[in-house]
Amino acid sequence: MFADNWKISLRQVRRLLILDIFGLSSLMLPRIFSSMTGADGVFCLLFGMAGAGGMLWLMQKNIRHVQGSYYQYMKDTVGPLMGDIFMVFYYLYFVTLCGFVLYQTTVLVLTWLLPEGSYFWVSVLLLFLAGYGTIRGIEGRARVYEIIFWFLGIPLLIMLAFAVQEVHTDYWAPMLYSGGGDLWNGSVNYWIFLLPLTAVLFLKPFCKNSEKIVSCGGVALIGVTILNAVIYLILLGVFGTNTMGVLRRPVITLMSMINLPGGFFTRQDVIMVSVWFFALFALMHTGVFQSTLILKELFHESGNRYSMCISLVLAFVAGMGFFANTFLTEVYEIYQKWIVLPGMAVILLVLLFAYHIRFRWKTEKEGGKEE
Amino acid sequence: MSIQITPDLKENISQFEILFSDCADIKKRKIKVGQKLEKECYIAYIEVALSSVDWKDSAIGKLLQTLRKMPEEELVSYVEENVEDISDSQPFATIEDAAQGMLTGDALFFLDGYGKALKIPDKGYPGRGVYETESEKVIRGSNEGFSESVKLNTALIRKRLRSPHVKVKESFAGKRTHTNVDLVYMKDLIYPGMLEEIEKRLGEFEIDGSLDSGIIEQLTEKRKYSPFPQFQTTQRPDRAAMAILDGRIVLLSDNSPVALIFPATYNTFIQTSDDYYSRWEIASFTRLLRYLASFLAMTFPGLYLAMTNFHTQILPTDLLLSLAAARQGVPFPAAVEIVLMEVAFELLREAGVRLPGANGNTIGIVGGLIIGQAAVDANIVSPIVVIVVALTALCSFAVPNEEFATAFRILKFLFIFLCSSMGFFGFLVGMLGILIHLSHLESFGIPYLAPFVGADLNGYRDERDTFLRLPLDFLKKRPIYTREGARTRLKLTNQDKDQ
Repeated sequence: MFADNWKISLRQVRRLLILDIFGLSSLMLPRIFSSMTGADGVFCLLFGMAGAGGMLWLMQKNIRHVQGSYYQYMKDTVGPLMGDIFMVFYYLYFVTLCGFVLYQTTVLVLTWLLPEGSYFWVSVLLLFLAGYGTIRGIEGRARVYEIIFWFLGIPLLIMLAFAVQEVHTDYWAPMLYSGGGDLWNGSVNYWIFLLPLTAVLFLKPFCKNSEKIVSCGGVALIGVTILNAVIYLILLGVFGTNTMGVLRRPVITLMSMINLPGGFFTRQDVIMVSVWFFALFALMHTGVFQSTLILKELFHESGNRYSMCISLVLAFVAGMGFFANTFLTEVYEIYQKWIVLPGMAVILLVLLFAYHIRFRWKTEKEGGKEE
Repeated sequence: MSIQITPDLKENISQFEILFSDCADIKKRKIKVGQKLEKECYIAYIEVALSSVDWKDSAIGKLLQTLRKMPEEELVSYVEENVEDISDSQPFATIEDAAQGMLTGDALFFLDGYGKALKIPDKGYPGRGVYETESEKVIRGSNEGFSESVKLNTALIRKRLRSPHVKVKESFAGKRTHTNVDLVYMKDLIYPGMLEEIEKRLGEFEIDGSLDSGIIEQLTEKRKYSPFPQFQTTQRPDRAAMAILDGRIVLLSDNSPVALIFPATYNTFIQTSDDYYSRWEIASFTRLLRYLASFLAMTFPGLYLAMTNFHTQILPTDLLLSLAAARQGVPFPAAVEIVLMEVAFELLREAGVRLPGANGNTIGIVGGLIIGQAAVDANIVSPIVVIVVALTALCSFAVPNEEFATAFRILKFLFIFLCSSMGFFGFLVGMLGILIHLSHLESFGIPYLAPFVGADLNGYRDERDTFLRLPLDFLKKRPIYTREGARTRLKLTNQDKDQ
């Protein structure tokens, strides 16, 4: 039968990646940009996209040589030890990402939906759902986000369309006012939010038309950047730089302000929180799934129960840590900026370089034999 | 060990009567045949299953009349040469097989000197015949419904699909009931492996009795703990025929007027026969209504609780005040009110189903008018809760498949619990859980959420028959569960001429 074959379609990959990147970036970036670069945040989005585009190019160069799994490719290219080290690096990225997104989702829930709720129980419930989604493999996971994509996308686009009339374009000025350092920092910040695109490296064995998987990443990258730019410009036009810098999640505040003509509900924020809830959950789910997959491959586990349980516990601990001590979120920011981002680029470059050296050495050896 | 039938009639009779001792409903008669009436034969049959032994038009009556006109020495050779091969008669070599043959509702014929037993067909067990179906009513289309006879049901399908490609594969379920189970399908349309899969699943259990297709359904379902059915049920031959034309397989079980159709998806449960008989605008509108109904049947009471208990800020002030005024004097929390009314509604529904027809209707009136009104007057529940429960009930009735609607009715209580304890977050958690569950669910290899997921596998064509039923001109291809290469169902040859 065609289902249950551990294969997902390109449309599923595309939608999954868009939701993965959109949720956290649209929720957090406007505040970061407004205090850092003001209206020039749009350029940060473009530069960040360019950086992530470069990384996608490196992924494309590597992924064409991947025959089986990415782990196998790494082991074949740089040896088993380095392969394992790289896998641990990726594991730490995905598991901490999961913990961070868990923290953000839980805080979102506690702020907008359940103010008197318990952080502990909300986190446990979310992780339980992520575990339930992971346990049956990638197909089910991809289907969830394929089906909810437009259910979330259409209301969001409608709300943004209605928000346009509130925009004061004079708030977009001054432009090209930020210094190079701020622009660089803003761009790197956006680039960091685009790092979940790395998941495409691991998705190749599960994708039906795997040769186009990186182009799916490209579509997701461009799509999300356009959406983020539109949201940022609307937010900037509605709130202005100063007000936006004070708001914790300006995009949700915006949703509470939009009055739908003839609308029944007086405020839509509670309903619209569901867009970010599902998008953040998608990213958290990606974190759980990828970390489980990596651990499973590292320890050659036949199922995924133990790997998943370990990953869920670590993500929970990380999430609790972020909640208990906000200093850890700053440490996490530094870790992402100075370790993860350069690390990922270096790994891709090393793999590519090592592959070509090996390939040349192999060709010369075979040529010598023939002679 | 099987007992062989011998040419010695007395021996056969004694063995047969041991097997059917103390069976008052089985009639056994010794009859003299041959010109001189010197040879004996033995007939056994179920009392009501045979019209009359001497009845001129019955097969067994005609056989006896013929045998009485023939010389004794030619009887055995006549039976061997002329009777064994006629239409439905079937020779058996053992007493057990012969007994089983008789229990299908036909007569059994033994002849002295003849080393076999013959099953002679007759009217069979009494049945209802073809009646109008009680459920799955349609505004336009056939009103014929399946009955309890599997043979009649296959004939009703065959009547609609007059093609030699329609195959009926017979098997039996139930060690003691020997219930006929027929798999009806279009040979050139079914997806490879689908038939083998159901045959494998049917062979994976041995049960003493299978009295309805529901037993087979439960024993062959893969995800037994899911509230969502993985087989579609129907009592309508036209629905079954339509499914067969889509490359699906219909399972008919004797003694059951309910056919099982597989594979089944969320979308197929929402479709009805007259979706395709009516114009596309009407069909699409009602289809959308049904999708909305399936969602609200599960979530409406929960959403009401979430909005009134947790997120009052989203409701207009006027509405909020009128809700508060309606709840004045009600001693219970809103969640208890909802649960009370929902349980009362489910009780009424159950009582209405069990009571005879006319009384069942009365229960509806009593429940709706008297209990609802009395509960409001007594300040036990608020009028808004009655409206919420009534609207939820309407939504559950609008879902065209009973088993499918039941899943939403059960899940409604989960949503009531989640939303009453966690508000809109509970709703989101519930929706996410259901979505993850449905995404994992499959029916014979087809994703339950197809074609909303994996639509690219069939070139996105299946999406034309989901929320909207596009004009038939657009539905040229069969859905994904049809064999590849056999998916064209409509060719328009005179399109230019019409335009």
